[in-house]
Amino acid sequence: MKTAHLCLILLLLTVTVLLAGLFVGSFQTDFRTLQGAVFSYNPDDPAHFAIIHLRLPRLLLAFIVGGGLAFSGYLIQAMVNNPLADPYILGTASGAALGANIAFFGWLPAVALGFYLPPLFAFAGALGVTLAVVAMAWRKGYIVPTQLLLGGVAVSSLITATNGLLAFLSDTEGKLKTIIFWILGSFERAQWSDIPVPLSALVLSSLLFLFLHKQLALLLLGESRARHLGLNVSRLRWLVLITASLVTGVAVATSGAIGFVGLMMPHLIRGLLGTGGRWNTLLTAWAGGVFIVACDLLARLIYPPAGLPIGILTSFIGVPFFLYLLIKRDYRFE
Amino acid sequence: MCKSLHKTSNKFDFFKQLFPGVILLLSFTGCGGYSDKRGLAEGDTLLDALGREVRLVRKPGRVMALAPSMTEMLFFVCDTGQIAAVTQNCDYPAAARRKPIVNNYPMDFEALLRVRPDLVFAVEGITPLADARRMEELGIPVYYQQYHTVEDIFTGIETVGRLTGNAARAVHLTDSLRRVKKEIQTQTAGLQKPSVLAITWQDPIYVYGRNTVFTDKLAIAGGRNAVDTVFEAQYPALTREYVLKINPDIIIGGGFGKMDSTFFRQYPELRRINAYRNRRIYDLTDDLMARPGPRVVESILELKEVIHGKK
Repeated sequence: MKTAHLCLILLLLTVTVLLAGLFVGSFQTDFRTLQGAVFSYNPDDPAHFAIIHLRLPRLLLAFIVGGGLAFSGYLIQAMVNNPLADPYILGTASGAALGANIAFFGWLPAVALGFYLPPLFAFAGALGVTLAVVAMAWRKGYIVPTQLLLGGVAVSSLITATNGLLAFLSDTEGKLKTIIFWILGSFERAQWSDIPVPLSALVLSSLLFLFLHKQLALLLLGESRARHLGLNVSRLRWLVLITASLVTGVAVATSGAIGFVGLMMPHLIRGLLGTGGRWNTLLTAWAGGVFIVACDLLARLIYPPAGLPIGILTSFIGVPFFLYLLIKRDYRFE
Repeated sequence: MCKSLHKTSNKFDFFKQLFPGVILLLSFTGCGGYSDKRGLAEGDTLLDALGREVRLVRKPGRVMALAPSMTEMLFFVCDTGQIAAVTQNCDYPAAARRKPIVNNYPMDFEALLRVRPDLVFAVEGITPLADARRMEELGIPVYYQQYHTVEDIFTGIETVGRLTGNAARAVHLTDSLRRVKKEIQTQTAGLQKPSVLAITWQDPIYVYGRNTVFTDKLAIAGGRNAVDTVFEAQYPALTREYVLKINPDIIIGGGFGKMDSTFFRQYPELRRINAYRNRRIYDLTDDLMARPGPRVVESILELKEVIHGKK
């Protein structure tokens, strides 16, 4: 498929899901209400308020988080040269969930100086666990991918077990549900103030790797071949690691751990456009954003009003599609 | 009246003192499978609220409940000596704390076998059916109840009384509860009915749905459940948009100060709703709200007090 064709399809899908997302909610919304909310916003009209302050930031956050996770997945798969890797392979998601859960359990204050702190703890958890895994894989200034993968799997298992223990010890059903929503992800908390940090992280990272797309393509050939072709593998791996951890950490801290998009979208784009495409990272992020917005919309339609935790839908929709790709298309990772 | 009820150390004593002179009114409504007149005996088969057949292994002399609300019912109508054990969450009345504990989550079958009650009472939605099947395999029958209205709770109390051989006491006590309920209904009949949203958890926002006893309690107390849709879940998760749309007049879930610094700090968009603007945000006794037991009338009184003030 040509890049231009894919862009056109993604553009159509983006407009469709964003528009549909603006129409779906508790307030009945017709085209006129939507037009009024956008072009002659009346803050006293609750429907206008809901469209601008609840639906729009939710849609945008879903798009950015989906994009960020897919983008990070692409980078991590290239870095460790393993098609099974996803942004959570370094324990980022379980670390974030642990950070947030500790606050929900009252061991750390959930609110301080007027700020709601669980997202901050989630980010700290994500960063802390990622650094621990990286430290395990660090050999004389080099990151050893196998150690990174194994260390990530081991640490993730340990932290997932800790999260499970916390869930088991929940003395109220509410705490349990909070943990579930955090582990499986939700955009219900989305506010305009949540947008700038993940957006900046995604835009800056995307631009960086737009310039480094050739190096990234070389890395996909394998470490020794990339080295023979003159690539400074170690430096690029560090760059990928820092970028992917940051983008994933920010995404997870905002909306919980949403699975599968980071694994699936890179494969989809490489399957459609090949492995070395200049625009692959950007298109992966774009497709991830559209996918997550669509899943969030569907989650709200299936189980109103709050919707299913989105991580459930991403797997239910993503896995069959992913299997189709594997079976029907002549697709290789390298 | 509500507060005085609250501070009474043993609320059951309150009702027992209020209506002395037990009149034995054996009102068997028929559980099926056994003769009411001769009482329950080994081998009798009952039909519980879920339509399950419950075959008694022995006459239910010693019983226990797997939910705090039902433990309260047992203490309300049974002699203390009849109650074999309680769960780890049963903390009322004070006598419950002195009973052996059988964990209900996860179900501690070994501890249950140690106390070996003749009949176990369970509430739909709290005790999984798989646990009940396992208990029955171990020779301990399980009797389920379910409640959708306040009247269901009263009927449940009477059923507990009937099955444990305390029918007269149970009927006498439920008669008194019904009288108080009727009195509250009379007082609130002509009053405006503000919409009330009761929050059970803040993140995500979980509330008492329409298909809970809370809706009936509110109707009696002179209010109406702000949740205007019957969702599949009894305690549905709501979006901020839904809360904005229903715009509740009153919120229950914590005092104004606490809710302002937690709930409304987290969801500043909801400061537009009537309850926040008029500062009608209240904290009620959790156990009274959550437990469909004999203290349900106290709970209604507490609700009436926050909705319509002390009268």
